[in-house]
Amino acid sequence: MQTWIDGIVDWLFGIPTWLHDVISWWVRAIFWWLSSIWAIFVYVWSVVVYNIGFLFKAVIFPGLIFIVMGIIFAVWSTRKLWGRIQARRGPFHIGKYGGLQLFADAIKLISKETIIPEKARRWMYRFLPSFLLIIVLLPFAFIPWDSSWFIADLSVSLVLVFAFLTAVPVIALLSGWISGSKYSLIGGFRAANNQFACEIPMIISSVGPALLAGSLSVMGIAQAQAGIWYVVLLPVNMVTFLVAAIASVGTFPFDAPVADSEIIFGWRTEFSGIYFTMTYFAEFAEQLLYSALLVTLFFGGFWGLPFIPAVVNFIIKFLVVFFFFVIVTSSFYRLRQDQIVRYCWKYLLPLSVLNVVVALLAIAYFPGLALLVIGG
Amino acid sequence: MSEHMKSSGSASTLGRDIVNKFPEVQANPLEGNRIELVMPADKIRAIVALLDESVSDFLPESMFAVDLENDQYELIYIFWSHSNKLLCQLRVPIEGEAPEVESVSDIYPGFEWHERETHEMFGIGFSGHPDLRLLLLPEELEGKYPLRKSFQTDRSRLEESGLPQPKPKPPAAERPARPTPSTTPKEGGESPE
Amino acid sequence: MKTDIVDDAIEIWFGPQHVSAHGWATKLTLVGDYIVECDPNAGYFHRSAEKVMEFRNFRQGALIMERLCMLEAFLAEYPYVTAVEKIAGLEVPERAKVMRTIMMEASRIHSLQFWWGQFAAELGLFTMLLWPWVDREFFLDAFEELSGSRHAVSYNTPGGVKYDFNEGVIAKLERAMDRIEDRLPKFKDMLLRGPTFRVRTQGIGQFTAEQGLKWGLSGPNIKACGVPMDLRKDDPDPSLAYDMCDWEVPTVHNEDHPGESDAYDRMVQRFLEVETSLGIIKQLLPQVPDGPIIDPKHRAKANRLPEGEAYGRVEGTRGVTTLWLKTQDKAQTPWRAKIRGPCFSSYYSLKHLVPSSKFADFIVIFGSLDPYPGWWDR
Repeated sequence: MQTWIDGIVDWLFGIPTWLHDVISWWVRAIFWWLSSIWAIFVYVWSVVVYNIGFLFKAVIFPGLIFIVMGIIFAVWSTRKLWGRIQARRGPFHIGKYGGLQLFADAIKLISKETIIPEKARRWMYRFLPSFLLIIVLLPFAFIPWDSSWFIADLSVSLVLVFAFLTAVPVIALLSGWISGSKYSLIGGFRAANNQFACEIPMIISSVGPALLAGSLSVMGIAQAQAGIWYVVLLPVNMVTFLVAAIASVGTFPFDAPVADSEIIFGWRTEFSGIYFTMTYFAEFAEQLLYSALLVTLFFGGFWGLPFIPAVVNFIIKFLVVFFFFVIVTSSFYRLRQDQIVRYCWKYLLPLSVLNVVVALLAIAYFPGLALLVIGG
Repeated sequence: MSEHMKSSGSASTLGRDIVNKFPEVQANPLEGNRIELVMPADKIRAIVALLDESVSDFLPESMFAVDLENDQYELIYIFWSHSNKLLCQLRVPIEGEAPEVESVSDIYPGFEWHERETHEMFGIGFSGHPDLRLLLLPEELEGKYPLRKSFQTDRSRLEESGLPQPKPKPPAAERPARPTPSTTPKEGGESPE
Repeated sequence: MKTDIVDDAIEIWFGPQHVSAHGWATKLTLVGDYIVECDPNAGYFHRSAEKVMEFRNFRQGALIMERLCMLEAFLAEYPYVTAVEKIAGLEVPERAKVMRTIMMEASRIHSLQFWWGQFAAELGLFTMLLWPWVDREFFLDAFEELSGSRHAVSYNTPGGVKYDFNEGVIAKLERAMDRIEDRLPKFKDMLLRGPTFRVRTQGIGQFTAEQGLKWGLSGPNIKACGVPMDLRKDDPDPSLAYDMCDWEVPTVHNEDHPGESDAYDRMVQRFLEVETSLGIIKQLLPQVPDGPIIDPKHRAKANRLPEGEAYGRVEGTRGVTTLWLKTQDKAQTPWRAKIRGPCFSSYYSLKHLVPSSKFADFIVIFGSLDPYPGWWDR
């Protein structure tokens, strides 16, 4: 028979069992957590190891760090070249030949106070500049720096590049709209106006290379130029693409969106601090992107002198085109926005269409000749 | 623009023409081909219209007031004609606490801002002027007429500025006389409020 | 036009914080991209120069004039100086006359060079901003050699000039002139023949000489309409030496719109002005006579002036610059000094010129009149 004493004894004996159970549960739980973290770590590590090539491309070489360093170098070289053209010295205080000037500027700009105007939409004001920078940086993934040095290759990457780039003036218009300033609003509309003027000539100009290469992939177009650069076959398209690209970036002589003597700084008037830095970088990133696209579509991509590496070939041509951008920006007056539209639609569009039609006729009626010229 | 004046090119004939039409005008020839016309204030608009009619290329060169103290003012209009090499100076004596003359800014738009400036600096009204807002002065000086001789430039506005007040001034009798711009004695040391 | 008539009109303040509005503000009413109403506002630079002059003696007054427009300092201080000379009865020595004229023309070239750069920058070409400004340094060097100061020269003084020419001044002036002669064709190419410059300036801000005269415009703005209105010829000043050399008043005759000027014509006119000024300096430099540079009685005569009125005028870089001076007997300070800055009228005329033009052209019209805020705010 059981007495109440037994109950107490059972209860007392139950305590260590309970404690043991609790502790062992915790130990198992911790082991489980540790092992699962280890498993994740192992998984990630294996992913990194197996995809080290892709990650290296995405983050370091043709990817983010390379592009950001490229932008910094582009800003420095633009300022230096402008200085030389304009009878002054450009930056020279910080670093050798002022090479670190941009880092100093970036630190200064980032550490500045961000002043958000009272009438601005605060959330969009904070969001749009970084979104713009991302949008502009994304198409760099498709740029073939070499037959192996690229981040992504899609069969329709050319279309995708233009899809991204079309978003840029939309963001400019939005930032002008949400900044709560009349000057910003006018600048935003002018940016949209620029895109309206130059987008169609630019896309039609890129149809020519796509037709000749028989591919809508940027990589495919670059590889198809092994025999002959398309600038030889489509010289007019190259020029129209270049002009339309300058208009799309919005630098001189097409800098009506940010015309500083007319509308202060256009749609960027109200941005300050880090947000201004981002829009400033985005403009140079766009210039670099168009230089790279121009090289890819018309100047043979990575093909060039056979005895130097293909990447170096690409970068040399890339720098030459970028240098041309800088020369143009420092030697023209600003066009009015209605003149931009008039010139783009009156001259650029017919010329670009004309060259494409000539290429089409050549392919249709002299396929042998076309194949011979293209090289297979 | 080679159109010459309908009467003649010289200052004396212009003066004679105007005196013939307006006998109350007094014409004083100045050195060179220059003339000064002294006229009462109510004739100014008619005479400027006549000048505009007789000389086609008058440049409204300058227009301003001079404070002669004791509520006496002079308005001076200066015209220059290139084709006749002729300078015509109108002198209009006016008086009163807040005198008023007719505006000529619709005949010579170039005088519109000159009249605005004269209004804010001297308190001379211009009837018929389209826009007599302040031109150069800040709002707090509206109605103070700084170019009048009675406007005090020394410390009279210190209170508004919020700066520390200087030591109290000695009585006026002991104060050394400030170098005045003139030899005539000043009247009315307070700025008109 | 009132804004309640046009519902979608927006009002926009061009200045005073605007980057190209250096000390002025204009209220523009826009309908779409067109300006329907322009209301220029002055006074942001107002330093009450006329009132200050009433408390400064006759030597100090010229310095105030010069600070109104530092770019044409030699020209700006001249109306005051000549008005004082007329009342005081001071005789300017021959040497001082020629030296004054040379330095005033050098100052004119310098001011125009500054303006090219500014106008080009307003049109968006910063290369053309800096190239003329490099050449401008050579003139500033000459001014510094002459007076010890690059901008505030305070050279003309009642009775003559303060500093004598020396070898260095003449050498530096000649170097500056050689430089500008060498560069002038390049600037002409870059400014006048550039297609982007032409499409931005031709037909912009067009007015006839009659309209311009009614608004009070003078100087290059009127000469660009084909009217040779120039005080240097029309109203020869006995204390300047323009009659010692052979020159013509430059004017522009545009075949497309005779008797009218647009922004492009005004640019051409200012190039012609520089060439004329170069010619005058070149002719005058060899014939600087010997002698004193200042009236020996200037100390006695310019300290206290007799009662009188005088009207000093000069053809400034931007137009007719005058000063009307009234003194009481034995006065140490003027009773009334009225400055007529040429840009007072140019800035005012925006009110008539700008409406119905495009918003982007506003700064072109403004820049083409060569305005300087110091002249209208005084």
